[in-house]
Amino acid sequence: MWLVRPAQPQDIEGIMKLAAEHCSQLSSTVPKTREGLEARIELSSNSFSGALGPDQCQRFLFVLVDSRDQQVQGVAGIDGRAGNGQPFYNYRMDALIHSSHELGVSRRVDVLYPSHALTGRTLLGAFVIAPGLCDSDAFELLSRARLVFIASHRDWFSDDMAVEIQGIQTEHGEVPFWDSLGRHFFDMDFETADRYSGMLSKTFIAELMPPNPIYVTLLSGAAQQALGQAHPATRRSVSLLQQEGFHGGSYVDIFDGGPVLEVRTSNLKTLVTCQRKSLRASDAEDGEQCLLACGQGADFRCTLAGISESLNEVIRAPLSVLHGLGCESGEDVMVAPL
Amino acid sequence: MLLIRPLQSGDLDDLMAMAEAAGKGLTTLPANRDLLRQKITQAQDSFNQRCEPEAGLFLFALEDTELTRCVGISGIQARVGLDEVFYNYRVSTTVNASRELGVHVRTPTLHLTNDMTDTTEICSLLLSASHRKGGNGLLLSRCRFMYLDDFRRHFSDKVFAEMRGVSDAEGHSPLWDALGSRFFDMEFGQADYLTGIGQKAFIAELMPKYPIYLPLLPAPAREVIGRVHENTAPALRMLREEGFNFNGLVDIFDGGPVVEAFIHNIRTVRESVNRHVLLRHKPLDQEVPAGERVMVSNRSFRDFRVTTVPAYCISPDTISLPPDVAEALEVESGDLVRLAPLKDAGPAPIHAAGG
Repeated sequence: MWLVRPAQPQDIEGIMKLAAEHCSQLSSTVPKTREGLEARIELSSNSFSGALGPDQCQRFLFVLVDSRDQQVQGVAGIDGRAGNGQPFYNYRMDALIHSSHELGVSRRVDVLYPSHALTGRTLLGAFVIAPGLCDSDAFELLSRARLVFIASHRDWFSDDMAVEIQGIQTEHGEVPFWDSLGRHFFDMDFETADRYSGMLSKTFIAELMPPNPIYVTLLSGAAQQALGQAHPATRRSVSLLQQEGFHGGSYVDIFDGGPVLEVRTSNLKTLVTCQRKSLRASDAEDGEQCLLACGQGADFRCTLAGISESLNEVIRAPLSVLHGLGCESGEDVMVAPL
Repeated sequence: MLLIRPLQSGDLDDLMAMAEAAGKGLTTLPANRDLLRQKITQAQDSFNQRCEPEAGLFLFALEDTELTRCVGISGIQARVGLDEVFYNYRVSTTVNASRELGVHVRTPTLHLTNDMTDTTEICSLLLSASHRKGGNGLLLSRCRFMYLDDFRRHFSDKVFAEMRGVSDAEGHSPLWDALGSRFFDMEFGQADYLTGIGQKAFIAELMPKYPIYLPLLPAPAREVIGRVHENTAPALRMLREEGFNFNGLVDIFDGGPVVEAFIHNIRTVRESVNRHVLLRHKPLDQEVPAGERVMVSNRSFRDFRVTTVPAYCISPDTISLPPDVAEALEVESGDLVRLAPLKDAGPAPIHAAGG
């Protein structure tokens, strides 16, 4: 049985292994060093336990495990407030109309404005999954378990959410948007900048990022094409997020030009459709596949289960699911359809 | 004799012919008959003080008195940017540095400015190919400094010139192709022409207002910023010798440099002296090389005239002029005229002659 639960110190080996194997192409906000990861898991544990409040940079890290062997097969995160107390950087894509009445000329000029407007929004991130599971329901479980968590801890999170989607990168690892823009100012290659971004405070961005707006027309053709485009490897993620109600807005990543998707938290499909029910065991092994979550804070668990719907406030799932979740008959659970 | 005098309406045909021959690249004198007529009128109003001092446009003609034809023109715009907006890019430096990462990056950046507003510009220099010799270009250019010097209160303390930037034989400017053309749906020549005929409003409406980071432009465009067209190199050299320096501003279209100098620092101004006219009936040797000639001005605001005479005409208190020269300058014996070396040739001949 697949289970999503808060990351714990004993998951470090598994997360590092997963990240080393599958993160080489995909940029991610999962720390790549052991120390970084230890600190991140500790921060996450304090966030789940409630030791840190919503205004204290809560950062949640979930793992996807197979309940039989507890092997980590995926990681996903939520930052309670984008920027974690520091400015959160994006470019806002905007347009100006340069028009001359006298000459009868009117021209749309696309401009990228440095922006901190998304600072403080709840941010999804740090998503890594074993490649073998890319087409499985476990993928959806890992991604949406976070939303179920948000639904069951609604007042920890902000009213608007965002998620940064990785941008275009060639198979040789070149990032056209970076090469046309950021490289000139940061004087480093994309991997280095990306690594610093995950590792260091954001001070270096404030210090090195060009302070003025950027005219899109002055970027290279490849960079213009990459602007606001998601990396093909993110297709499944993006499509899931879109089904949830996330949509591409006017923000892009400052490093690779990848899109930032946004949504009103209260409009998320998972939040709208999930219900609080009382869980009972059933004998039937089949039923409608649903996301099923129980527990508050550090005890949060989410899995996929065949639910046999019953009347009123009660749903039934196989006994093995109750064991897997570690909950007892009659306990309150959150349930959301796949 | 070659004589500098105010441009007159009779010069229109000669002026039109010169403007046509000059072709593209001469922003301030487009080959447009109505516009040139208008400029001549404006110049006459300026010399006769029929317009506000700030609106002054002083255009000087170089007349070949034997051909009775205007063979060159040069001008002074008393103030730029008063009834229109005068744009330049300032080439400045943006530094982004992170001590933590040991990164220190200098990014040359173009900022759109109106910094030359209310400053005097020397402009519109044009010389017929037939007369590009014997210091005629120097006379046409430097006579303006004598005028600026004698009538300083009409001008700003500082004077500048916009130098033509780099473009190829077809009139393509690398900077325009990389920058201007991205924002203006037109050819460089058309934009330049519209600027020349005073339809500048479109610039404000279509220009990018935010700073341009140079690393975003291709190398050929970056390389021409602050550089002059090869045909303009001699003019730039001449102005440098006069004490003009690049002031960090460039043309928004072709990236040509702006050079400037304080009037009191201009070499012609510093080296000029006054002498009384002494009429002497002895014809002048017109074949004296430019390095041994001096400019003589009649110091008239309304009917400014300058010609050159050999330096040997100068004596400690006077300058001897033959009657035809005095007549051309409209001066009489005893009048005070101003002298300045035509060409920089070591120790100034004026002073060597006892000034």
